[in-house]
Amino acid sequence: MSDQMTLEELRTLAQRAGLRLSENELERLLPGVIRARQQAAALRELIGADDEPAGVFSAARK
Amino acid sequence: MQTTDLCYLTIAEAAAGLRRKDFSPVDLAEACLERSAALDGQLHSFITVTAERARADARRAEAEFAAGNIRGPLHGIPIAIKDLYLTQGIRTTCHSAVLENWIPDRDATAVEKLVAAGTVLLGKLGMHEFAFGGPSLDAPFPAVRNPWNPAHIPGGSSSGSGAALAAGFCYGALGSDTGGSIRTPAAHCGIVGLKPTYGRVSRFGVVPLSWSLDHAGPMARSVEDCAILLQAIAGHDARDAASADAPVPDFQAGLRAGVKDLRIGVPRAGWFDEKLGVDSETGKLFDQALEVLKSLGAAIVDLDGKPFARARLANQTILLSEAYAYHEKSYQNTPTKFGSSVRRRMLEGAFLSAADYLTAQRARSVLNERIRANFDRVDVFAVPTVARPPDAFDALDPNEQNLRPSFTHPFNLTGLPAISLPCGFTSENLPVGLQIAARPFDESTALRTAYAYEQATEWHGHRPALGA
Repeated sequence: MSDQMTLEELRTLAQRAGLRLSENELERLLPGVIRARQQAAALRELIGADDEPAGVFSAARK
Repeated sequence: MQTTDLCYLTIAEAAAGLRRKDFSPVDLAEACLERSAALDGQLHSFITVTAERARADARRAEAEFAAGNIRGPLHGIPIAIKDLYLTQGIRTTCHSAVLENWIPDRDATAVEKLVAAGTVLLGKLGMHEFAFGGPSLDAPFPAVRNPWNPAHIPGGSSSGSGAALAAGFCYGALGSDTGGSIRTPAAHCGIVGLKPTYGRVSRFGVVPLSWSLDHAGPMARSVEDCAILLQAIAGHDARDAASADAPVPDFQAGLRAGVKDLRIGVPRAGWFDEKLGVDSETGKLFDQALEVLKSLGAAIVDLDGKPFARARLANQTILLSEAYAYHEKSYQNTPTKFGSSVRRRMLEGAFLSAADYLTAQRARSVLNERIRANFDRVDVFAVPTVARPPDAFDALDPNEQNLRPSFTHPFNLTGLPAISLPCGFTSENLPVGLQIAARPFDESTALRTAYAYEQATEWHGHRPALGA
């Protein structure tokens, strides 16, 4: 998924997520959403193919 | 003793005074209630004052003291609790309209333990709504203000805990910390806050923000008081899936051992100069703090700061994703009950993908390893707690936290214990914090380092000038 986003794309994603947001709210939200996705994208350069997520499921734990 | 002096005793001093019968638990409770009734109108640190409960707790403690049944150093000590810890029969709001009138039927584990220790419960403290976003300016309860200057923020999210301690309204408090929420208000309010190792203190009964990053911990006016409080609330709890079954040492035992030959790592390169960098006064006070630690016999070791700098990205991605997952249903049902600050931040998490979240958890593994590898060379890390002094309310910028280095996030991501304590004041008389982080489950070394610094300086003795 691209870390860039337009207002139209945000509107579509919000509808799919069941979120009823006004145009005003979408506009205010967009910069934060773009920043959050850029932050997440920047993490991809840190990891290698063998790196597993922290906190993997343990069958031994009750 | 004057009421103000009584209110500003440390827990250790108050406990000694109770044993000597200089004053009683009722005297302490009444002094705190009187002071907060007179002054909290300008700070709003309390959401709910439980005066009747406090008086009943204090009378019970007084009777137990009279009978010679002293439970320990917290017996008869007035404390207050961040309003996201469940308290049986007492409203628990998370500073939100969503839970405005919620009265839980049980105590959080940490609260249970403080009750068992014989503390006196003064009430529930204000915070950032759901421990998220910034000061809650449109919540049903007013935003907490900084005792050093009410025009400034106290830091959050445990803002009421920081403000109430600095103002002398209580002797100890509980906070919670997901990205700095104990340590930031500790720094901004000039008090001490300890985020223990992840799993050291049970999160059971603490309303979650982000399950894998949330830490419960103590806040107080001295390092020793944090050790006393941690002793009471630490330990395994089967009701918390993340609770660690690790031995709990005596946190006061090594407090006075000093820092001679201790290796203090400072991960400056590639972190302190990130974006706008560290505020100049904060940077100067931090460097002076390092000089004090050096003069006490510690060795300062320069470290690569880049893995620490990147922790913010992973911490934020995990926090936003988990926070939205927790609040999703509630938000969809009653969106207008959430305040604007928490709503904006929480919704950012709605647009991150499962792959984003798992990438952040994979990066967490990588960064955890890189950061902890430094413990081959050093015993603790030292950094400023916050890169800048507390902002004025009217100059708040919601993006500010992204413009300077975050010194708190790495220790949530890695779960390492970290303590903040006062290390000076700016030219505007606003407090600045020094942060010490240690190996997992080695709170004792963080406490010992902080104690050595605290005892060598006089910052912890400063009090804000609050007018009635």
